[in-house]
Amino acid sequence: MEKDIQERLEKLAIPEPRDGARERTLRAAITEFEAGAKADETRSKGFLRWMRLLGKFLQGGHPMNRPAWITAGVSFMFVALVTAVLIPQFSAYRSGPQRITSPSGLVTESGHDAMDLSVDEEAKISPPASAPNEWVAGAGRGRIGAKAEALRKMPSPVLREKEQPAPPLPQEYVGRDRFETFDPNPIKRTKEEPVSTFSVDVDTASYAFVRRALNAGHLPPKNAVRVEELINYFDYDYPLPADRSRPFRPSVSVIPTPWNPQTLLLHIGIKGFDLVPDQRPRANLVFLIDVSGSMDMPDKLPLLKNAFRMLVDRLETKDTVALVVYAGSAGTVLEPTPVQEKGKILAALDRLKAGGSTAGGEGIRRAYALAESCFDAEGVNRVILATDGDFNVGIRDPEALQHFVEREREKGIYLSVLGFGQGNYNDALMQKLAQNGNGNAAYIDTLNEARKVLVEEASSTLFPIAKDVKIQVEFNPERVAEYRLIGYESRRLRREDFNNDQVDAGEIGAGHSVTALYELTPVGSPALRIDELRYGTPVQKTGKAVNTAGEYAFLRIRYKLPDARKSRLLERPVSTSDEHTSLSGAPQEARFAAAVAAFGQKIRGGTYLEGFSWDDILALAETARGADRFGYRTEFLNLVRLAKTARSMGEK
Amino acid sequence: MESLSDQNLVDRARNGDARAFECLVTRHYQSVYRVAYRWCGVREDAEDITQDVFVKVAKKIRTFEGRSAFRTWLYRVTMNTAMDFGRRRSTRRAFSEAWKAEMHSSSENPGEHALAVQELYAAIDALPPRQKAAALLVWAEGFTHREAAGVLECAEATVSAHIFQAREKLNPLFAEKS
Repeated sequence: MEKDIQERLEKLAIPEPRDGARERTLRAAITEFEAGAKADETRSKGFLRWMRLLGKFLQGGHPMNRPAWITAGVSFMFVALVTAVLIPQFSAYRSGPQRITSPSGLVTESGHDAMDLSVDEEAKISPPASAPNEWVAGAGRGRIGAKAEALRKMPSPVLREKEQPAPPLPQEYVGRDRFETFDPNPIKRTKEEPVSTFSVDVDTASYAFVRRALNAGHLPPKNAVRVEELINYFDYDYPLPADRSRPFRPSVSVIPTPWNPQTLLLHIGIKGFDLVPDQRPRANLVFLIDVSGSMDMPDKLPLLKNAFRMLVDRLETKDTVALVVYAGSAGTVLEPTPVQEKGKILAALDRLKAGGSTAGGEGIRRAYALAESCFDAEGVNRVILATDGDFNVGIRDPEALQHFVEREREKGIYLSVLGFGQGNYNDALMQKLAQNGNGNAAYIDTLNEARKVLVEEASSTLFPIAKDVKIQVEFNPERVAEYRLIGYESRRLRREDFNNDQVDAGEIGAGHSVTALYELTPVGSPALRIDELRYGTPVQKTGKAVNTAGEYAFLRIRYKLPDARKSRLLERPVSTSDEHTSLSGAPQEARFAAAVAAFGQKIRGGTYLEGFSWDDILALAETARGADRFGYRTEFLNLVRLAKTARSMGEK
Repeated sequence: MESLSDQNLVDRARNGDARAFECLVTRHYQSVYRVAYRWCGVREDAEDITQDVFVKVAKKIRTFEGRSAFRTWLYRVTMNTAMDFGRRRSTRRAFSEAWKAEMHSSSENPGEHALAVQELYAAIDALPPRQKAAALLVWAEGFTHREAAGVLECAEATVSAHIFQAREKLNPLFAEKS
């Protein structure tokens, strides 16, 4: 048998390493080797200072996460990382005037020689034992300052054409992305379980992932489709509260279910206030960026850089940005820097390169430590993690990582997660992290998506106006026989959690809209899916004298203001006055949300859709397109068309 | 320089000879990458592991006392890095190439080989890390138990025990066929 095993193992086809991988390794190793030589010669003061600093930061770590070699070698590693990561980048910038293209297609010429570093300069930068950020600053004083000036004058967001990610290659879907498995919410009988409770969800990652799959010609894996995220991808024009004393108010309508004439849809929409620009709190942001080898693809690091560049352009001068990278190891590429010195930030971003060296980082701790170092109690403090799903950020146990993020949230530092690429995307963990960190998870598949998340929706991505937002709906058994919450499977809460302020829930950002849909089966409808109980249900004590006859349900929303510990309650009945008897008379936003809900459910298998077809979805969405200023709804129509012809996973 | 022995190159590198060190990296890149790939089954990850290995080697070569052969030491660093990597990403275990082979196979009948290889790697992958390491060293790299023990810094008997247990677990794969 041993022979058998050996023979078989021999047969594994081992692919060649990618072009440049060997060279990258050689470079990293040699840099490390030479850094060691330098350190041997002179242990300078600067070096010792770094040792102390790093030691301090390592003290924060649990010894389990800190193999001895990290402690011993971390300083060398640090220098090696910075040089190995950054130097190869310079050569790429040795070019003359370049065309600069904004996403709108506007092309401007710009003499952009900022990064044109000569070989001498490179040599000067090479392996400093002193603070790496010093040379960033040094470079910033030179010609990069000029670049910042040029950037300020240009229409933002500014992108260099040559860094525009190439159109994604038609890739075979390999299916290593990880999604949490879940079943759609079941139908509930109002008499048995009249109350439904869940947390809001403003994530949109699922939509972008679905779009990517469909654009590649195949249906996404079922578990990648979270219907509520598809619905919430779109901005809905719900009415705002009359004054700013409340962050939002619910708008409610009951409409005929497009896919089932015997049932009704309860549509709940919430829209938060947008920020008044000069009242916007200061933002203290730390970008935590994955630069491991797997990020070395056009749709990952280059896209990420462009995305962050756009975000930086949106920030105010008083905001601060810091950059931490991790591959195996973590390194601070940029200490917290006010956006006033935008050139410095952009230059640091530019120099990021995938395939950084060495193992065993403390990325996330360091990012949080930096966020804490410039913590602003009045402002928004947020770590933005950008990765393709590679979570070797320093804390290895996903549970420990979640707890860590949770504890930091208590301190007031939130976490947002931006997912990139396809192949080993760890959706499940990203979701968990963002949920525990009071943040949002978005999946960035195109530059357009980056613009949507980081530019158009920057204020909602960055600035929460309410946190721990929970929704509870109590259905009236006199009118509603059965109900089913569409989506929000991962956001279910227990009934008692609603009033428990210790239980965490989703946050709503400035200008965000959140939509939830229930499919209701009215009493007496032939569409009942659950049989009546033979022995009936216990007779309810009717102590209440409230007239609830006309009510379908009662809606309660709990939320906390961003810095509050106690929740506030909003309530309102859902009555016949909220009902629209015909679909064509129903509000446009509700109709569009219903179309998206049908789409999501159909991709997931469409158990409850009664044969509602792709064309039906198209027709429904078509009439509810509205102004569609950025074309997202039109894009949705295209996705439905693609879904019609897409093959499912694994089909050829 | 290329003709020098590992030992010779190591001695030079320890005295700060960067070219000797470079030569060592170039010479062993492929074998470290191969081990790393067998460990994780993903090209990009194997590249990352390999890079980590050589950076560690660069960092430690001055203090490498030469009590074991360079090759043994290099494999030790590789195995430790790989195991460390596995802990980081224990769920990421799919063998992408094997996967692809499977996905393409529906039409052209993949032959038993690819599937059998994939099955076997999946089974080895499911072993506890030390057993997996022992299994790969002995079966895939052709180490004797004694050599593997040197790499894993344990007793030879421990490697034999690992291999015995691994074989027990893989047994069903072979029992069915024969």
